[in-house]
Amino acid sequence: MTMRRVAVVGAGVMGAGIAAHIANAGAQVLLLDIVPDGADDRDGIAKAAITRMKKAKPAPFMDGRAMSRVTPGNTEDHLAKLETCDWIIEAVVERLEVKQALYAKIDKHRRPGSVVSSNTSTLPVEKLVAGLPERFARDFLITHFFNPPRYMRLLEIVAGPTTRDAAVSAIATFADVQLGKGIVHCHDTPGFVANRIGTFWIQCAVREAFARGLTVEEADAVMGRPIGVPKTGVFGLMDLVGIDLMPHVDGSLAANLAADDAYHGVRVEQPLITKMIADGYIGRKGKGGFYRLNTDNGGRIKEALNLVTGEYAPATKRVALESLQASKNDGLQALVAHPDKGGQYAWAVLSQMLSYATSLVPEIADDIHAVDRAMVLGYAWKEGPFELIDKIGADYLAKRLAEDGRTVPTLLQRAAEGGGFYRIDGGRRQFLTVEGDYADVSRPDGVLSLSDIKRASERLAGNGSASLWDIGDGVACLEVHTKMNSIDENVLSMIDKALKVVPKAHKALVIYNEGDQFSVGANLGLALFAANTALWPMIEGLVSQGQKAYLGLKYAPFPVVAAPAGLALGGGCEMVLHADAVQAHAETYIGLVEAGVGIIPGWGGCKELLARFADGRIGGPMPPLAKAFETIGLAKVATSAFEAREFGFLRRADGITFNRDRLLADAKARALVLMAGYQPPEPVTLTLPGPTGKAALGLALHDLRLKGVATDHDMVVADELAGVLSGGEKADITETVDEKTVLRLEREAFMRLVRTEPTLARMEHMLETGKPLRN
Amino acid sequence: MVTYSAPLDDMRFLLHEVLNYDNTVANLPGYEDASRDVVDAVLEEGAKFCEKELLPLNLSGDQEGCVLENGVVRTPKGFREAYQHFAEAGWTGMACAPDYGGQGLPKSLHLLLQELICSTNLSFGTYPGLSHGVYNAVVLHGSAAQKERYLPHLTDGSWSGTMCLTEPHCGTDLGLIRTKAEPSGDGYRITGTKIFISAGEHDLTENIVHLVLAKLPDAPPGIRGISLFIVPKFLVNGDGSLGPRNGVSCGALEHKMGIKASATCVMNFDGAEGVLVGEPHKGMRYMFTMMNTARMGVGIQGLGLAEAAYQSAAAYAKDRLQGRALSGAKYPDKAADPIIVHPDVRRMLMTMRALNEGARALALWVGMAEDVAERHEDSAAREAADDLVSLMTPVIKAFLTDAGFEVTNLGMQVFGGHGYIHEWGMEQLVRDARIAMIYEGANGIQALDLVGRKMPLHMGRLLRRFFHPVQAFLEDNQDDPEMAEMVMALAKAFGRLQQATAWIAQQGLSDPEEAGAAATDYLRLFALVALAYMWARMAKASQAQLNGTRPAFHTNKVVLARFFMTRILPESSALFAKIMAGKDTMMAMPQEAF
Repeated sequence: MTMRRVAVVGAGVMGAGIAAHIANAGAQVLLLDIVPDGADDRDGIAKAAITRMKKAKPAPFMDGRAMSRVTPGNTEDHLAKLETCDWIIEAVVERLEVKQALYAKIDKHRRPGSVVSSNTSTLPVEKLVAGLPERFARDFLITHFFNPPRYMRLLEIVAGPTTRDAAVSAIATFADVQLGKGIVHCHDTPGFVANRIGTFWIQCAVREAFARGLTVEEADAVMGRPIGVPKTGVFGLMDLVGIDLMPHVDGSLAANLAADDAYHGVRVEQPLITKMIADGYIGRKGKGGFYRLNTDNGGRIKEALNLVTGEYAPATKRVALESLQASKNDGLQALVAHPDKGGQYAWAVLSQMLSYATSLVPEIADDIHAVDRAMVLGYAWKEGPFELIDKIGADYLAKRLAEDGRTVPTLLQRAAEGGGFYRIDGGRRQFLTVEGDYADVSRPDGVLSLSDIKRASERLAGNGSASLWDIGDGVACLEVHTKMNSIDENVLSMIDKALKVVPKAHKALVIYNEGDQFSVGANLGLALFAANTALWPMIEGLVSQGQKAYLGLKYAPFPVVAAPAGLALGGGCEMVLHADAVQAHAETYIGLVEAGVGIIPGWGGCKELLARFADGRIGGPMPPLAKAFETIGLAKVATSAFEAREFGFLRRADGITFNRDRLLADAKARALVLMAGYQPPEPVTLTLPGPTGKAALGLALHDLRLKGVATDHDMVVADELAGVLSGGEKADITETVDEKTVLRLEREAFMRLVRTEPTLARMEHMLETGKPLRN
Repeated sequence: MVTYSAPLDDMRFLLHEVLNYDNTVANLPGYEDASRDVVDAVLEEGAKFCEKELLPLNLSGDQEGCVLENGVVRTPKGFREAYQHFAEAGWTGMACAPDYGGQGLPKSLHLLLQELICSTNLSFGTYPGLSHGVYNAVVLHGSAAQKERYLPHLTDGSWSGTMCLTEPHCGTDLGLIRTKAEPSGDGYRITGTKIFISAGEHDLTENIVHLVLAKLPDAPPGIRGISLFIVPKFLVNGDGSLGPRNGVSCGALEHKMGIKASATCVMNFDGAEGVLVGEPHKGMRYMFTMMNTARMGVGIQGLGLAEAAYQSAAAYAKDRLQGRALSGAKYPDKAADPIIVHPDVRRMLMTMRALNEGARALALWVGMAEDVAERHEDSAAREAADDLVSLMTPVIKAFLTDAGFEVTNLGMQVFGGHGYIHEWGMEQLVRDARIAMIYEGANGIQALDLVGRKMPLHMGRLLRRFFHPVQAFLEDNQDDPEMAEMVMALAKAFGRLQQATAWIAQQGLSDPEEAGAAATDYLRLFALVALAYMWARMAKASQAQLNGTRPAFHTNKVVLARFFMTRILPESSALFAKIMAGKDTMMAMPQEAF
């Protein structure tokens, strides 16, 4: 069952965000909310929500088309439209009577067999469907999205006792494949999985920090990176989600959990936090939170709240705790075993949270793996609680709990005896079931995991920066694995190697990795260091080597499919541009950003973009030239794969995958299609206008300069770019220019720019601050 | 007896023919008065003073040493008078601001004067040298009242200064210091023991201003918990007159290898009254701001001694008759030929001179950058100059003091047995030179500073300030047939330096011990390339003057440049090989095996 039309009732932050994301996936969405008393525009609330989302950062919509797929309306005039909807999502206020009254109305208008779900985070299915007709209950489930719905990958699904299996699987499949969500099936218990454990963790971490006299910086330094949690830790996280939200979540959990639940033991009201909420210090959306940015006197000073005095003071930039160093050197066990206050704090919080998590299986979910996935997908932890226990050592944890005279959960005892919650058996990853044996971590159909392949096989070739893997059916996979997957000499030589190795026993190549970023481009630090030491031949060698390698990919006798996800910038973008086909994750941010650091694309990016914009177009050479000039000159980066198509980085024929886990399988499928009767592309020739074209671009540039948009060095960079794109001094529209010529122009312009002080200043600034320097 | 006459011709050559002093320093705001005439006159006066007043006291000062009696340190005979004259002539205030009675001359010019002082009497030089360090610290970080109280006296030389950092259990790692500062009234009470305090106590001035590192009661642990205090020997009354003795005294004098006329004291602070400089806990940061100047100054000590050694050895080699030249008698009418006829003696003399002149050029180039960094109107130019100074300071400190020891040692060798006995002064130079490799940050620390701090700073931006000018010089001169020999040698060594730099940077990322193992050899490689660059520039400048008024002078420069390129610079090849061998063999043996 596909979801062609979906209704979302309730246009608050969550409802609107869910609507936007479903529209991203291509469905038509009806967004309804109530008619406020005396409103002129009866659809005002939903309309305002859409308008708000247009500007919101991070953007809920992937492109303008997605936005146009959302139709605003209200719950008085438009309920009849529900008849056409395949799925109706309720995302209204968390009050049972309001929801139930709405369900009664929905049930009157909806089509039989359509699915109704609630985005509740606190109310059980049991209560939600109480008193409603049986047919409604059979079509009803909970779909709990996390905020923001486009970006947070977790979707918790809770079915009631009478919910149809078909309804559950239809929603799960749609959410997985079309929306890209990671589905965790939860039992119908308060807080489901992620918030049950997450809230316990937050409350516990806050309580222990207050009790032990840690500063917020210290607490976050311990509760963040060392345990694989985003660096916001716990206080920074509360600032991010809103400190005022905490009492609601806490209150609802406390009201619904059994009286003997350990959660009651960790929740303590902190008068300071109560006062902060009352005074409007509710985090980033308020006057400040546990941190704030003090911009008085024109400065930008990050300040942290003193938990004792309640006053702000400049935040400690680097927390110096020996336990942190110990965890860096020797891992998680060294952290919790360390006697300093950081180590004691880590032990106090983790031992409670991990024991709690262990005691909740199978109450909240069928198995431990589901719980781990929920925390990874919903809280962006690197590892879930059971993976963390394995890192600390299940036996260590069990032993130390016993020494402290605390209860050792049965499941933990089993893990301690069995050597951990997870194990690798015959190259397959297995987890400990509640019955006490180990079962394979299974992947759904259409999911191919490179990590699984890496565990089970030897690489075909590889070095410190990249590897080549056999992903089956005659397809090889080139994996870059440097920091941020930047491209260095070793990556380029692995491409050369792949060009030689692949034809021997394979018929296609997929370029893919499981990092957060596909590739941030050439290793800028290395380039800057080489430039600072005047190693010009080395830099030029790297430019040539990259050109050669990418050209090799393009004209290889086998198809090459690039499968980017996350950032694909600069040299990473150029790699994608040289592939025969692209299967991109929807969340791909691609662009030629070289101008921002004072250079131009030197690995064929200028050439490829020109060729792409000229392809099949009739008319003079100027339009594609102007478009490439704008795209590269402004360092445009697409904010989604859909926008990448608009910008020309992706072709119409290139595929887009919503679920990150499905990207490799989709890319491989694409390679298999291309494999049959594959012929490399014909060499490209370009018609370029030469100096006259450059002069035309110069005029446009001069305008920007006069408007004050372009800086001194922008002019220098743009001038070089115009020189390359127009084909150089000798080009003329009556003749064609081959690829080699444009590549030479790229290389020469690159080398001239990299020798200038302002370019080096831009690179340095980017590396040190992460922001472009406008010099 | 040491033979010495100030190398003013060489200095003028560098200032005016090689380094373009007029358009680099003399055009900076506030230095308009430092015209060519003034600079020449200052150097000539300085030379006269050093040759006539300081040199005669050097050997006797070494013999006599300093004496501690009843808590009072007596400097050797003649030092008091010489110091009086030195101060009266205005030398103590040469580089001090006119606001405090100084002459406001450029730092780079002061550097040249320091060389003259170090050549003629290093021990003497430590007294005004330390005072000027204190002056710099108070100028940069003192309050208005502190400046008004102390700077005029430090400028006119009536008071001197010291730096009290080292304690019995720590020197390199100052985070460990124990000296305490307790708040008391408007000021603080300082208690603790400092050792190795140069000029800690003496009879040259009416008061001594100690700059002391100490910890406040609420100090954070380690290097970030150190504060800087001024503790005068005599308390100063409200009207500026001297009051009673403060609770600071000299407990002992160190018995040491060299610089015997410089009083190296154990200083006891017993509840001494002090005032805080700047803000609490920022003492180390303040010390760092003066570090470049102080370390360059120590490098100059090595150079000064080396110059004295060269001149003495050259005079002796021309004078000493012994044996015959290998190619047959050069002076058949004399009983024997002077030893300078021997290639091996030539080897020593040429090495000494090529190192000295290269070192002087390098120090002056960087010293001028220090002036630019301080005074230039354009902030980008200031930043670039400051980068160069920061980068080259450890190179200059370590290499010039290493070379100082090597060259004084060669000087002693030329003298043969006479070099080993006291009266010729050569063994004193060796002994005096040895300390400069140790104090103000041992040379191993300098090497770590270079590879661990300066190299990675701002992604290698500091390196650019050296590597780009050298690269540009090579490109500018690659087609000049006259320069072919220089360019080829420099380019080869420079290429090794580039490769070694890239290698260390990369290795250091994953294993800091690799960078540590390479550090000392790398610093020397860096220094040799820097000297080669200087020699190439000197050769270039000289070639333009070969048909000028002083053809011999300029021809000799070209010869020296060629000697450097062919007989000294090839060491870069060995250094490169050592660096690239990595740390393996260095770290392999277990600790117990030592």
